[in-house]
Amino acid sequence: MRNAEDALVLLLAGGVGSRLNLLVEKRAKPAVTFGGIYRIIDFSLSNVMNSGLTRVGVLTQYKPLSLMSHIGMGEAWDFTGRTRGVKILPPRTGSKDSDWYQGTADAVRRNVDFIEVNDADEVVILSGDHIYHMDFDAMLEFHRAKKADVTVGMMVVPMEQIHQFGAGITNDDGRIVDWEEKPEVPKTNLASMGIYVFNRNYLLRSLARSGNEIDFGMHILPWAIENDNVFAYPFYGYWRDVGTIQAYWEANMDLLKQDGSISPERWQIRTNFEAEDRQADRPAARYGVSARVNNSLISAGCVVNGTVLNSVLSPGVVVEEGAVVKDSILFRDCVVETGAEVDLVISDKVTRFGANSSVGLGDHHDIVNRLYPKHLYTGITLIGETARIPEKMKIGRNCIIKCNALEEDFTAPVLQDGESLT
Amino acid sequence: MLKPTTLAMILAGGRADELNVLTYYRPKAAVPFGGFARVIDFALSNLMNSGIEQIAILSQYRSYSLINHIGTGASWDMIGRFRGVSILPPFIDSEQQDWYRGSADAVYKNLDFVQYHRPEEILILSGDHIYQMDYRDVLAYHHEKNADLTVVCKRVEKARASRFGMAHLDHEDGDRGGKLINYQEKSENPEGEWSSLTVLCFKPEVLYRVLEENQADGSFEFGHDIIPRLMRQGSRIYGYKFDGYWGYTRTVLEYWNANMDLLGDQPIIDLERWGIRTNLDHRGLRDHQPALIGKDADVRNSLVYNGCVVEGTVRNSILFPGVHVSPGAVVENSVIFFSNVIGRNCRFNKLISDVNTIYEDDVQIGINHGDSKKQIAVVGWNNRVPAGIKMGRGVTVSPELDRDKWPGFLEAGRVLR
Repeated sequence: MRNAEDALVLLLAGGVGSRLNLLVEKRAKPAVTFGGIYRIIDFSLSNVMNSGLTRVGVLTQYKPLSLMSHIGMGEAWDFTGRTRGVKILPPRTGSKDSDWYQGTADAVRRNVDFIEVNDADEVVILSGDHIYHMDFDAMLEFHRAKKADVTVGMMVVPMEQIHQFGAGITNDDGRIVDWEEKPEVPKTNLASMGIYVFNRNYLLRSLARSGNEIDFGMHILPWAIENDNVFAYPFYGYWRDVGTIQAYWEANMDLLKQDGSISPERWQIRTNFEAEDRQADRPAARYGVSARVNNSLISAGCVVNGTVLNSVLSPGVVVEEGAVVKDSILFRDCVVETGAEVDLVISDKVTRFGANSSVGLGDHHDIVNRLYPKHLYTGITLIGETARIPEKMKIGRNCIIKCNALEEDFTAPVLQDGESLT
Repeated sequence: MLKPTTLAMILAGGRADELNVLTYYRPKAAVPFGGFARVIDFALSNLMNSGIEQIAILSQYRSYSLINHIGTGASWDMIGRFRGVSILPPFIDSEQQDWYRGSADAVYKNLDFVQYHRPEEILILSGDHIYQMDYRDVLAYHHEKNADLTVVCKRVEKARASRFGMAHLDHEDGDRGGKLINYQEKSENPEGEWSSLTVLCFKPEVLYRVLEENQADGSFEFGHDIIPRLMRQGSRIYGYKFDGYWGYTRTVLEYWNANMDLLGDQPIIDLERWGIRTNLDHRGLRDHQPALIGKDADVRNSLVYNGCVVEGTVRNSILFPGVHVSPGAVVENSVIFFSNVIGRNCRFNKLISDVNTIYEDDVQIGINHGDSKKQIAVVGWNNRVPAGIKMGRGVTVSPELDRDKWPGFLEAGRVLR
C-alpha cells in the first residue's frame, strides 16, 4: 500500500555542463564518471533512495543515451516494484509542443502530465549534477513544519563564489525575504543548491502562470518569494558542483582524504554495476610483485604492476610495470604501458598511453589551453576516450587530446603546453 | 529455438569436514574464493558462459547460505522465460523421510523435477571445484559418440590416484577423449591414469533407469556406484579429456594453495578471462566504494576488492571486500574474508580469516614456526581477537568465541574452541 505522503521527485539531468569539455562530448554531465565506479547522478539517485522516496522522473535532454543506459529500470536504486519507478522524461513532440526544454521550469512545465498522474503532496526538484549527501525526508519535514509553499535547500558558500549561484537573504524564521540570481555584487553568501520542495498544487499553479517563466531561479522563485511562503532549508556538509575540470578533479581527490568529509560508501551511494559493458562488475584488483600504490582509490578489475600515486582508477585500468601514474583520474579500461608517465591527467575510458610516453610533462601549469582557456588553466591535461597516445610521445600541461585520437594523428613527437589535438 | 535442451544439476550439498571452521555455517560450495566470489561461482559462471540456462542446485548442508548467495539467479543471467536456477534441498513426503543419502540419491529423489523439464542431456557436476570449462565441448563429444554417459577426466599421477575415481581410457579420439575401458574408485593401484572430475553428461533414459536400479543398493554415489554399475552393464561410456587447471578445495591446505594460484604476475587462475561472476547483492558487494590504498601502504602480489582500506602492508594475500588493514599491520600469504578489521601492528602469516572477524592491535599469527603439520591457521567468523595475542602456525579457532576463552598464547597447531 503506497504511502500517500511519498513525495514525487523530478531530477533535472538535461544540462550540457560544457566546461567539462571532452568529458561531456558524448554524454550528459550527470553521466560523467566520478570516484572510480560512480556516475555523478548516482549521488542524487542514492540520496533519493536513502530518503525513502520511490518515484522519480529524470528529465533528460543533452546526449542522454549513456545516462538512460546507466539508469536502466532503476533496479540499482531499488526503484522497481509495483508502486515504485524511475521514468526517463526526454523532450518530446506532441500536438502542441515541439521544442527542446528551454530552461528548468520549462522542462518541468512540459511534464505536468507526469506530475498530474503521480499523486503526491509535494514535488522535490533537484539536479543530477552535484556531489553531496542529503536526507530529503528531513527537508520535507522542515517544509511541512513551516507550512511553506516552496522550500529551497541552501548553504553557506565563500563570498567570492556566490556569483555562481542563486543567492537568498532570510529572516530569523528561515523565510526567504530577498533573492538574486547569480549576483555580480552579492548581498549575502547563502546560496541555492538548486534543490526545491514545492507543494504540488502550488507548483502546478506557478507553472500555469506563464510559459515565459522558463527558469526556477530566475522566474518562478522570485515571484514566489515576492508573493507567497518560501523558506530556506539550511544544509551543512560537503557539496560540490563539479562543473569545471578543476572542481571535478578536486572533488575526486577529496575522496582520498580520510577526514570523513566525503565518503560514497558511508553515504550509501549506489551505482549500477551491471550497466552496459558491465563497467563496474569485475574481479578483485590485482597488484603485481612490483606494484607501488599509495594514496589512491583503486577499483575492482584494475591490474597494477607499476606505480600509482594520489590517483583515482576506474575498473579495468592497467598500469604496466615501470609505468607511473600520479595525481590523475583514469576512467575504465585505460592502459598505461611500460615506462609511460601520466601526471595530472584526466583521461576518459579505454585510452592507451604508449610505452615511455610522458603525458603532463613539465612545470608550466600556468600556460592555459589556447582553444579553451576557461576550461583548462590549472595544469590538468585532458584526454578523450579511446585515444591512442604513441610511444615516446611528450604532451605538456593544459593540453587536450580528442576522443578516438589515432597514433597517426600526432604529427610531432611533442605537444606543447596549452596545445590541443582536435 | 528457445527452449533449452540441457539441464544442469550442481551437487552442492557437501560440507567437507577438513575445511573445519570454514564450513561450520556454510557448505563447501559457498566458501568464499577469489577475493570476491564463492567456490560455486566457478560452476555457475562456466554454465552461464556455456549458454546453459536451466540449473538445479542440490543442497543439503546449511542450504540457507546457498539460497542467499544464488538469489534470483540474475547474477549469472539465469532468469527469464526458459532460464532459471532452482535450489533443491532434501524434503519429506508421504513416502520417505530421509536426507539425501548420497549424490545419486539426491538426483533420484528429484526426478520429478528433472522429468518436468524434459531435458535431452543431463549434466551433473560438482559445485566444489575451481576451473574453467565450456561444457558445450563436452556435450558435443557426448553427442558425437552417442554416449550413454560421458565422464570428464583429467590426467593424474599414480601417486595421488588413490583419492579419486580413476578411468582407463582408450585412444579412440586422441587428446580429445576415449572409450572408458575400466573404472576404479579410490583404488591403491588403479589401471587408469584419468581421474573423474565429477562432470558427468547423461542420456536421460539411461540416468533414470540406473538411478532406479541403484535404489536397491546400500550406497548412492555417482563415482562409487553409478559409474561402476553402468560399466558392468556394458553401457556406452566415454571419457572427455580435460587439460585445464583444476583446483581442489577439500582441505585447508588445498584451499589455500588454490588461492595462491590467483597470484603472481601471470596467475594460473585468471578470473577476468575465465568470466567469473558472483552475486553482487550478497553481503553488500555492490555497496562498496573502490579500495582506498593509504599513504604508507605497501600492497604487492595481492588481490584487493572494493571496500577495503589498506594502510599497512599486504603481500601475497587476498583481501575480500571491506577489509581494513590498519597502519603498521603486515598481512602475508593470507586470505582475509569479508569485513575483517586488522588492528595496528598485527602480523599475520599463512592465515585464513573468516567473515567479520576483528583483530585488536598487535596480534600475531603464524610468525613462529613450531613443528605443526598444519601449516595454515584458520580463524572462524565473528571473532574479536584481543590485543597482543600470539598464535603459532596452523592454529584453528572456532567462530564467535567469548573473550574470556582467549589465552595470551596459542602454540602452533592448537585448536581453540
